[in-house]
Amino acid sequence: METFIQSVVSGVLTGSLYAMIGVGLTVVFGVMRIINLAHGDLVMLGMYGAFWGLTLWRLDPFVSILLWVPLLFLGGMLIYRFLLKAIIPGGELNTLLYTAGLSLLIANLALFVWSGDYRTIKLPYALSPMRPFGIAVPVPLALAFGLAILITAGLSLFLARTDLGRAIRATSQNPEAAALMGVNVDRISMVTFGLGSALAGAAGVLLAPSLYLYPTVGEILIVKCFVIVVLGGLGSVVGAISGGVLLGVVESLGAVYVSVAYKDTIGFALFMLVLLFRPSGLFGVGKS
Amino acid sequence: MRRAVPLAAVVLVLVLPWLTASQFTLHLAITVLLWTVLGVAWNLLGGYGGQVSFGHATFFGVGAYTTLILYLKLGLAPWYGMAVGGAVGALVSLPIGLVCFRLRGPYFSLATLAVAEILRLVALNWEGLTNGPVGLLITALPPVRIASRPIDWESKTPFYYMVAGLALAAMLAAYGLARSRLGAYLLAVREDEDTAEAVGIDTVRAKVVTLALSAFLAAVAGGFYGLYFRYVDPDAVFPIALSVEMVFIAVVGGLATVAGPAVGAVFLVTISELFRERFLVGHLIFYGLFMMLAIRYLPEGIWGGVRRLVSGHAPS
Amino acid sequence: MPLLEISGLTKDFGGLRAVSNLSFGVEPGEILGLIGPNGAGKTTVFNLVTGFHRPTAGAIRLAGAGLVGLKPHAVTRRGVARTFQIVKPFPKLSVLENVTLAAFLRHPARRDAEGEARRALEQVGLGAKLAAPAADLTLAEQKRLETARALATRPTLLLLDEPMGGLNPREVEDASALVRRIRDAGVTVVLVEHVMKAIMRLSDRVVVIHHGEKIADGAPDRVVQDPGVIAAYLGKRVA
Repeated sequence: METFIQSVVSGVLTGSLYAMIGVGLTVVFGVMRIINLAHGDLVMLGMYGAFWGLTLWRLDPFVSILLWVPLLFLGGMLIYRFLLKAIIPGGELNTLLYTAGLSLLIANLALFVWSGDYRTIKLPYALSPMRPFGIAVPVPLALAFGLAILITAGLSLFLARTDLGRAIRATSQNPEAAALMGVNVDRISMVTFGLGSALAGAAGVLLAPSLYLYPTVGEILIVKCFVIVVLGGLGSVVGAISGGVLLGVVESLGAVYVSVAYKDTIGFALFMLVLLFRPSGLFGVGKS
Repeated sequence: MRRAVPLAAVVLVLVLPWLTASQFTLHLAITVLLWTVLGVAWNLLGGYGGQVSFGHATFFGVGAYTTLILYLKLGLAPWYGMAVGGAVGALVSLPIGLVCFRLRGPYFSLATLAVAEILRLVALNWEGLTNGPVGLLITALPPVRIASRPIDWESKTPFYYMVAGLALAAMLAAYGLARSRLGAYLLAVREDEDTAEAVGIDTVRAKVVTLALSAFLAAVAGGFYGLYFRYVDPDAVFPIALSVEMVFIAVVGGLATVAGPAVGAVFLVTISELFRERFLVGHLIFYGLFMMLAIRYLPEGIWGGVRRLVSGHAPS
Repeated sequence: MPLLEISGLTKDFGGLRAVSNLSFGVEPGEILGLIGPNGAGKTTVFNLVTGFHRPTAGAIRLAGAGLVGLKPHAVTRRGVARTFQIVKPFPKLSVLENVTLAAFLRHPARRDAEGEARRALEQVGLGAKLAAPAADLTLAEQKRLETARALATRPTLLLLDEPMGGLNPREVEDASALVRRIRDAGVTVVLVEHVMKAIMRLSDRVVVIHHGEKIADGAPDRVVQDPGVIAAYLGKRVA
């Protein structure tokens, strides 16, 4: 029983971070109907940001996040404005291929500049895990979980209560109607892409103390991200959160009860099943 | 002009080993030709048919493993193994196609990616069959005589001609497909599946048959890979990067053209391999960069662009 | 025996009943007009016959053999071809290539298929524009292209969905003449149309649909005087 609870807790903690990555991707899809294959690499940039922040400036990741998030927000907006905007009219497929190219470009530039050596972040307070109720909870992961909740709650409030948030939701439901209501769809798209990138970067910074860092980590992350987002339904924030936590828990339980080796396969098998029987996911809004 | 270019290319390919003594150049040429086969294979379904698969490594890996397993465990010579590998690849593509073709657009692409990842993980874990992460290794190739002279397997030349033959065969297959009824049907499926159905085209059958052909070629290429490098492991033959590179070569070279993937392979593989010689990492930068440039400025690819210029802006 | 026989055909989309217990027949060699106010369910009937939708209930028979459950390409293979209300050519392909695609159904070899395509294009009067990209044609020409594409599958039954929509009076005349030529060449035609003058003059018989139900079935001049039909088009209070 204790193993089960430990497993579920670990799964939820990791899952919350997966969820944040998924929310970033899904929000962008909801508004612009594009699947950003470079999303995983933006997470990677956040991770390396945390690493260099610590290595060069002795900044704890949970502090340097305040720097990287706005930077990635800005970067995302610039990517939209100067790269993606011209491509989107060419259609979904072209945009998908373009972001695939962008992904390879970012990951390989990182490889070239920072080398492929695995890096880790060692935080002095992370050496021994906390043990609430006897369940081992690594400190950085707990902190990350807490921050992820805060950020996600903040995001939900933002989407629900602010004018900009409402404009984003309106555009994702019906861009033409939104435009008729005076929403500047182009500006909203730019802000949304910035937001998605910022979320990705934040997730990266928060994950950095808990994972191995290498430039092509985006590849695995984007695949997991798809599983999440498809599970939850492309375009749905609630879906991405549920999907993220679900995947985290499934992987964790799978590792313990089935086999460590096949834990990733379970996620994929689940993915295929959902794609086949409920392609719009549990809460999806996009067409299947 | 239309006849001269392909003819010149074929001649160049045939005489290359006499023009250079450099093993590096031959290795580069072999790599370019191998990627040509893969690009042509992918292009059948992706370019002509408009079904963008991000999981073609599935068939490459199946071919590679089949060839090596048959050789190491049953002693079947790898050239026969390659053919069997191709058939296995085509067979495997049938259930995969039937499942994945129920999805459209990006969902189809993601499903194919998931399939490739599942196979990679299976290869990684089914140690009894595949030796898991350790992989399979060929130490010696069977002795073969041609005109009573034994082939020197230590030299690159025999492998070069093998893969050149494969590339030529693949391109001939693509050419035949493009001119056939199936080729015309694929273009319709790519444009508008519903209208294609209304016009009497069995769209599912067209996609499944094309995938089988595409899978066959990719699997044979995988078999060659195993034979040439003499070693396969799950991360070498099933990785996402491999599937993605196939897509890039076809798109940058020219979708829905016979020579496009060849041009893409020559261009991308040469640049990135030269870069890799010098800098060791990050060579895929060029793949990313040129894909972005192509989609933005030259969506019909390099070869498509060349053809357009040459024929004076006539629609292709 | 009727060529096409529809009996008790019903189609529900969720809570909406688009077609309700519809029954009528189409005799071989006739031109049948299918009319009714907008939203009456006419295009849905076409979609049901050609296999794009599955009926909730009812039977569809072509020369006695059932069509329900067949996929669209199989229905076309049986001999039923259709055109679409909003024309759907393959825009990047040439006129000839568009029709050759359809001709491949009966002629696996490219040369024969192209020959069939040329024949169909001559029949509709597009013989001079074989190499033009389909997107470059005028609306009237694109409608004729759709018809040629349908004809190239050698149908016994041709379903035309608003072939005259958007055409000027001269073009309507030409289109009517084409429909007659097609029928005279041996193809049975069912025609959905809103251009009343044209459809009344062309049709041997007319079926009127309203809210998915048949409200009249007979010769054009009789149907036009049917009070139920008048009420459907003009509203209940006519006097």
